[in-house]
Amino acid sequence: MSTLQALVDAVALGSIYALVAVGIGLVFGVLRLINFAYGELITAGAYTLWVLRSLPAVVAILACFAVVVSLSLLLERVAFRPLRKATPATMLIATFAVSYLLQSIYLLVFGSLGNSVSTLAGLQQAVDLGGLRIRWITIVSLACGSLLLIGTAILLGRTSIGLHMRAAATDFQTARVLGVRANRVIAFAFLVSGVLAASVSVLFTVQNSLVTPDLGVPITIFALVGVVVGGLDRLWTATLGGFAIGFAYSLLGDKLSGEARVYLPSLVFGLVIVVLLLRPGGLFAGQPRSVERV
Amino acid sequence: MRRLEPLVQYLGPATLIVAVAVAGSLTSHAREIEFRNALVNVAIVVAIYVFVGNAGVISFGHVSFVAVGAFLSGLLTIEAQSKQFVLPGLFGFLRETTIGDLPALALAALAGGLYAFLVGLPLMRLSGLPAGIATLAVLGITYNVLRNWEKIGPGPLTLSLVPETTTIWRAAAGALAVAATALLYQRSRAGRQLRATREDAGAAQASGIDVYRQRLVAFTLSGALAGFAGALLVHLLGSITTDQVYLSLTFLTLAMLVIGGVSSLWGAVVGALLVSGANSFLVDAENTVHVGFDLTLPDGTSLVILGALMAAVLILRPSGLTGGREFSLPRGRAKAR
Amino acid sequence: MPDAMLELEGLEVRYGVVAAVRALDLRIERGELVGLIGPNGAGKSSTLLAIMGVVPVARGEVRLRGVSITGRAPEAIARAGISLVPEGRHIFAGLTVEENLRLGRAARRDANGVEADLRRVYGLFPAIAGSLSRQGSALSGGQQQQLAIARALLARPDVLLLDEPSLGLAPTVVESVFAALEEVRAQGVTILLVEQRAQVTVSTADRTYVLANGELRLSLTPADANDTARLAAAYLS
Repeated sequence: MSTLQALVDAVALGSIYALVAVGIGLVFGVLRLINFAYGELITAGAYTLWVLRSLPAVVAILACFAVVVSLSLLLERVAFRPLRKATPATMLIATFAVSYLLQSIYLLVFGSLGNSVSTLAGLQQAVDLGGLRIRWITIVSLACGSLLLIGTAILLGRTSIGLHMRAAATDFQTARVLGVRANRVIAFAFLVSGVLAASVSVLFTVQNSLVTPDLGVPITIFALVGVVVGGLDRLWTATLGGFAIGFAYSLLGDKLSGEARVYLPSLVFGLVIVVLLLRPGGLFAGQPRSVERV
Repeated sequence: MRRLEPLVQYLGPATLIVAVAVAGSLTSHAREIEFRNALVNVAIVVAIYVFVGNAGVISFGHVSFVAVGAFLSGLLTIEAQSKQFVLPGLFGFLRETTIGDLPALALAALAGGLYAFLVGLPLMRLSGLPAGIATLAVLGITYNVLRNWEKIGPGPLTLSLVPETTTIWRAAAGALAVAATALLYQRSRAGRQLRATREDAGAAQASGIDVYRQRLVAFTLSGALAGFAGALLVHLLGSITTDQVYLSLTFLTLAMLVIGGVSSLWGAVVGALLVSGANSFLVDAENTVHVGFDLTLPDGTSLVILGALMAAVLILRPSGLTGGREFSLPRGRAKAR
Repeated sequence: MPDAMLELEGLEVRYGVVAAVRALDLRIERGELVGLIGPNGAGKSSTLLAIMGVVPVARGEVRLRGVSITGRAPEAIARAGISLVPEGRHIFAGLTVEENLRLGRAARRDANGVEADLRRVYGLFPAIAGSLSRQGSALSGGQQQQLAIARALLARPDVLLLDEPSLGLAPTVVESVFAALEEVRAQGVTILLVEQRAQVTVSTADRTYVLANGELRLSLTPADANDTARLAAAYLS
């Protein structure tokens, strides 16, 4: 495989991880909550695609969006809203609990062996672009990734709910005093992050057709790592961080020898620790909000 | 009354641990392993509590120390002859050395402590979310290396043939020892200083407490106890894989701690026993249990119900069932108020 | 007696065991400018934060036009018609001036008349109008205070609460802020002004109350503004 081709694949995986990073970052911004259960939203979408595998792809994909977005909103309402005043550690572990719960439900319903999704399998085919053989999914991932990121940017930058979200992310209390409705802004963040998760479900299952109950776990952890490296408080650097992780992962995985490749996760995690040690405050610099977050 | 306070605080956890051991020794062998498992869970959760509860800093990395203790103690107690065949790729000394199970427990504690110390040297400068993510990264690295480096373990395979020496009494003794160490530490000068930093790190620092140093001390001690608990675990199971000491154990033990109440020893013990008990009950219920009537759960539902129960307790009672208070006798508490 | 615009009855605010405000009764009629002065820690800010729903009301009641708003969320209170200019201004430093102003509209009940309100606010604070595309952080302290007031006014509030708007401002800037406040009152907005600067507050407000240790101690009128002995006594009582 040529270097250029590897680069193109890396860009595609990078754009998927960037979407995950934005999904995690949006919710973190307004709630200061790292949602470990985010990957399980992606898994839910993947299983929806599998369940509806005999229906037309468009229907399956629409249903995937509906299921994932509803689940995201449901989690916000049932699990995370009551916890808004809990300590960060409790909130973190609660998201772990939700992740565990969802995984065990998937295990119960779908079993551990995995189910193969082929909704958009046609996209695996390659197209010849001047000697480069690029799979359609690479192109689609890139296009969808860019469109969704641009869409999110417009939403945040140009609309009034976007402005409210940005204000809430910097200083929730003042935003509320100005009349910004906390529940609405938070629910909206979960809605947008659900849309992003559903997109990832569709794109990811084309590349990795086997859906298992723990499909979302490594995705969340690696994207989270990217978010942390980029900086949780700043959505755009977090996006870049997510992109960088996916990019580096794909490229290094391609270039490293088989022996060294298995230690790639360690390399990535080691990098995270170094980054955290070098600029912990810089990455997480936000207003201290110990006093009644919301 | 005040001089007796440490004894009273120990009384609750110790009574519970002994009661579980006695109950376990009276049941069938098949059922007994669940009691032993609960006691080992107590050891792991209390080990985590020593750092997380006293420092008020979250750690997702402690199962790394459990893993190190489990694999080291497991490897060193397997007969050298078997190791030649089963694990030929091991480093020479790991392959050829066999030690008794008690020295192996001590060594596991030492290794856990040493690993925690080395990790803590850089990481204890962090707190809050960065600390959580960094310790999660440590767990990821430990898992990744253990799973792939066949010179130090079985790699992706199962480490089996480990002597099953964790009897119910040894599990109880281990849990009692870990709880006693935790209590002695939290009542020591170092422990009290660390707890002061939990309330207000800035003020503690201003009054001369070296936050970094105290956190490192607790992290190391906590790592040593976790390594010890890991050794208890491997000698309970007789075999282990890296997946058994990764994310789900991390989540389960942290959930036990938070459900019990993160800032007290009593909470750690209560949480570990309650969640273990609920888990055992639900697993049994998949094969029918009698609770006035015959209860049979469909296969696989135990995990779902356990997950839902834990999520519910976390959401409805975020400060834990004990509210983070130490055990006290009813009269003692009335006096203290 | 008709309903007051804003009425506090037996208001009590606690932080743990400490009572910051005790049994506070206050009645503000439509269009009035009422001052609240007193030493540090007297409970002035706590009173405003409790009216706004930011800190919980331990006992007593807050009524807006005769309707209780006790225990409602801050955003609901803002939408009911009360705007707070918080102490320290709390401008969104990373947002532009224009975006800060747009945030002020979050609590508006109707979108009509935004243009007119903007013109009125620009007339009040010409400096704001000239720096719409700058970052909030790029403004001077006085301009940030003007922006905070402008932002609150864009909610078209019935009642404007101000928490120490003069804090950290140069004397000439303070004068312009108070001049703006008188103009706002002339436009029919009811104002509750918390201040440290006693003299200017007493002379500007229709009535000024002195708060100490969480209790009302004294009521002053503009005629008392130059009675330094009375002012000093109020603080020392």
